[in-house]
Amino acid sequence: MAHVFIEVALDLLVLVLLAYPLGSYIAKAMTGEKTFMGKVVKPIEGGAYRLLHIDPSEEMGWRRYLACVLAFSAASLIVVMVLLMCQGWLPGNPNGLSGMSWDLAFNTAVSFVTNTNWQAYSGETTLGWLAQAAGLGVQNFLTPAVGMAVLFALIRGFVRTKGEGLGSFWVDLIRGTLYVFLPLSLVLAICLVAGGVPESLSGTRYVTLDEPIAVDAAGDVIEGAQIDTNAGTVTVDGQTVDDATIVTQEAVPQGLAASQVAIKQLGTNGGGYFGTNSAYPLENPSAFTDFLELISILLIPAALCFAFGICVKSKKQGRALFAAMAICLVISLVIMIVNEQGGTAQLAQGGSVDLSTVGQAGGNMEGKESRFGIASSSVWAVFTTAASSGSVNCTMDSLTPMGGFVPMVLMELGEVVFGGVGSGLYGMLGFAILTVFVAGLMVGRTPEFLGKKIEPPEMRMSVLVCLATPVAILVGSGVAALVPQVAGYLGNSGAHGFSELLYNFSSAGGNNGSSFAGMLSNTTFLNVLLAFAMLFARFVPIAAVLSIAGGLSGKRMVATSAGTLSTTGPMFVFLLIFIVILVGALSFFPALALGPVAEFLGSAV
Amino acid sequence: MEKKNSHGMDAAMAWKAVGAAFAKLTPRAQLANPVMFLVYVSAILLTCLWVLSLAGTGDAPSGYTLAIVVMLWLTVLFSNYAEALAEGRGKAQADSLRKSKGDVTAHKVPSVERHDEVTDVSSSTLIKNDFVIVYAGEQIPADGTVVMGAASVDESAITGESAPVIREAGGDRSSVVGVTTVLSDWIVVEVTNDPGESFLDKMIAMVEGASRKKTPNEIALQVFLVALCIIFILVVMALYAYSDFTAVQAGMPNPSSVTTLVALLVCLAPTTIGALLSAIGIAGMSRLNEANVLAMSGRAIEAAGDVGRAHARQDWHHHAWQPPRRRVHFRRRREDRGARRRCTAGVPRRRDARGPLDRGPGQAALWPAWP
Repeated sequence: MAHVFIEVALDLLVLVLLAYPLGSYIAKAMTGEKTFMGKVVKPIEGGAYRLLHIDPSEEMGWRRYLACVLAFSAASLIVVMVLLMCQGWLPGNPNGLSGMSWDLAFNTAVSFVTNTNWQAYSGETTLGWLAQAAGLGVQNFLTPAVGMAVLFALIRGFVRTKGEGLGSFWVDLIRGTLYVFLPLSLVLAICLVAGGVPESLSGTRYVTLDEPIAVDAAGDVIEGAQIDTNAGTVTVDGQTVDDATIVTQEAVPQGLAASQVAIKQLGTNGGGYFGTNSAYPLENPSAFTDFLELISILLIPAALCFAFGICVKSKKQGRALFAAMAICLVISLVIMIVNEQGGTAQLAQGGSVDLSTVGQAGGNMEGKESRFGIASSSVWAVFTTAASSGSVNCTMDSLTPMGGFVPMVLMELGEVVFGGVGSGLYGMLGFAILTVFVAGLMVGRTPEFLGKKIEPPEMRMSVLVCLATPVAILVGSGVAALVPQVAGYLGNSGAHGFSELLYNFSSAGGNNGSSFAGMLSNTTFLNVLLAFAMLFARFVPIAAVLSIAGGLSGKRMVATSAGTLSTTGPMFVFLLIFIVILVGALSFFPALALGPVAEFLGSAV
Repeated sequence: MEKKNSHGMDAAMAWKAVGAAFAKLTPRAQLANPVMFLVYVSAILLTCLWVLSLAGTGDAPSGYTLAIVVMLWLTVLFSNYAEALAEGRGKAQADSLRKSKGDVTAHKVPSVERHDEVTDVSSSTLIKNDFVIVYAGEQIPADGTVVMGAASVDESAITGESAPVIREAGGDRSSVVGVTTVLSDWIVVEVTNDPGESFLDKMIAMVEGASRKKTPNEIALQVFLVALCIIFILVVMALYAYSDFTAVQAGMPNPSSVTTLVALLVCLAPTTIGALLSAIGIAGMSRLNEANVLAMSGRAIEAAGDVGRAHARQDWHHHAWQPPRRRVHFRRRREDRGARRRCTAGVPRRRDARGPLDRGPGQAALWPAWP
């Protein structure tokens, strides 16, 4: 198994090496300092302010900042819904696809506006390139920028002492988009095009198959069929199959894929251009693109830890937060890989499945990206659920019970192990506030964080930040479990069926968007329920974080004394991880016990 | 000085607390403590279920429900009892304070200039901005500011300081407190409080626990506990839904009854720490009382993890004949100055009683009680 871990270690090393400099660049860009991109971007930035009548020196109070976030998101929601529902009458739809139903459009619009990118549809058969690019693609850029804006508002809350405001939401939004997301995704998109991802305005192309295949009336491929293309007959073992259809051409979907794939990876969006996301060869053609896409999932969330440290003038603090997240990540990776590589007792039985790692990819290969093997798929599954990305290159439904447990837990912890762009780190800071308070109680010290006193209002709000995800998941899945029809939507019964249900609500409640598959989710009931779970899990923490920022920005700095708990040392990192796991475990122990754990115990016998 | 009976209570007080535990069963009294309110509501719910199960429609055997109902009510009552006991001890302290208050005759005068036109009234009729003249050997009838004259005043009843202090008009040594005694000379005092708001009244109210201010840490802890309760309520409700879902798939009736789930909820919820939360604060005050230190606020308790040191400093001034009633100012953080001013308005400050006491393991004792 050693070389599997060498691959993982290399992934992590490259990630850190890229994230560290990017962090200092983001810190400079978002605070308006000079950067090497300034020459190109500054004029565009200034032009945008003039065009939109934005005063770049405006200082918003937290309520105004929040109002801007909500108004902006509401407007985005409406625009996306209109684009999705009306695409039948709009240009940019070469395949002439009809508009979405209201509930699917609502679900999809909410999912893209909340940076979740849960998809209850298949891109290539449902959406034209205009709806993809102008509707969903634009949100792919803006929602991570919103998350980053809220994070920097919180940073200003920590740094400022006279209550002078949290900066301007519009400036943060524009700076994030222009300095961070556009240049990075431009570079990545070009690399992806070079790797073979399509980027075109044409409709579906048709390619003649080297060997025609035959399908029966139900659309299933007929195995071992003898096909005579000239006579148009299909015979199996000498007998003619009457209702068979001969297929000689393959449809290759086209569209503005590379540009959207780039930002869906970088912005922790995860909404694939094609239905099967990055498991689709046109979305992820080679090992080169696989590596690039993998690193870009965690690149910005990891960089933001370092940017945070620089902005609050305590690089150690940034490293401590990074360490807490990285430790959780590595533990998850190890559990996942050991389980997927080792398979289950049933797979190992009688040597029927190759579980070795030498020569070819062995292990639980069902549903894996068969070109890249266990390591790549497992790392991807962990990265995508640690960050609230949700892009996938393997089928989560086919993971071993404990392998499937890992992504589920990562989402249920509130997407704070790196998490979404901005949202992961401000979620983690909510937990950090909770941690200094609990630690303060244990040792009788006054809770302080980054020189600011933590008092009941901050406690109340950070509790909201930490509880939004568990509440959304528990209430959502609880309601769904009580509705009799829901059992009919599941692909499996028993513990695995329950895992499917729990996973999908965890995905929505964690604003992740990855899908366990195996569940029919495009129904009016689930579309609406999941949409509300996503809205709750996105905007309740944003409101709470901005309220904390507003309160903190008016507090003066407390001098560090012997009584101050250090928030940069290993002790704090350990406590932080402990509190994150504690809240997650308290909330989800029974649910997980009924799903993946029951399945694991069932299969271990 | 002699410590009081180490537990500060007797059988009568304990019985009184038992009565109070039942009296506290009203929803209003329970609402003050959200965690125990949760147990209280659970107990009521299960009592209803038990009655239903007697009628044959409950969701669990009636004996089982009854057992859980009894345990829940006992939990609620025990929490009430602990709180009532702590309050009872405070009340006993308050009663002894009240005795020292008593009514005295006040020599009311119309104004500073006409301080020889004396009318004798009861001290309880004095209101704010009245003027009184106090002669040597008399008790000062109310809190106030010296507006004329100078006198040596024995403040031992309040501060425990046996040496008389000088109080004179003008400057920052002009405030006097009711129940202290003028030893020599005479002063004209302008009353600064209406009846019922005097320093002594505040002390009594505080000791009774009525106006005990919660410390920021206590409030934050309450927030944390409420958050945990919310999680557990949701977990238990979701568990019901999940088990229903699983049971339907397996084609059997839902195995988890409401009774069991409510019992589970109470087990999960941070009941122990929640029940003891208010008792902890009051017990802290009692502990200080035993050391003849009167805590001025909840925050003072938090600050006084280091009571031993405060005690030692007090002993330094101790004289055997002195009525043992002392008070300590704890140094507060800067932004809390306003609170200190409010708290100790009109009371002379004893610098030597202030020590570096603003930090200590105050809340540490909470943690072993974690469920």
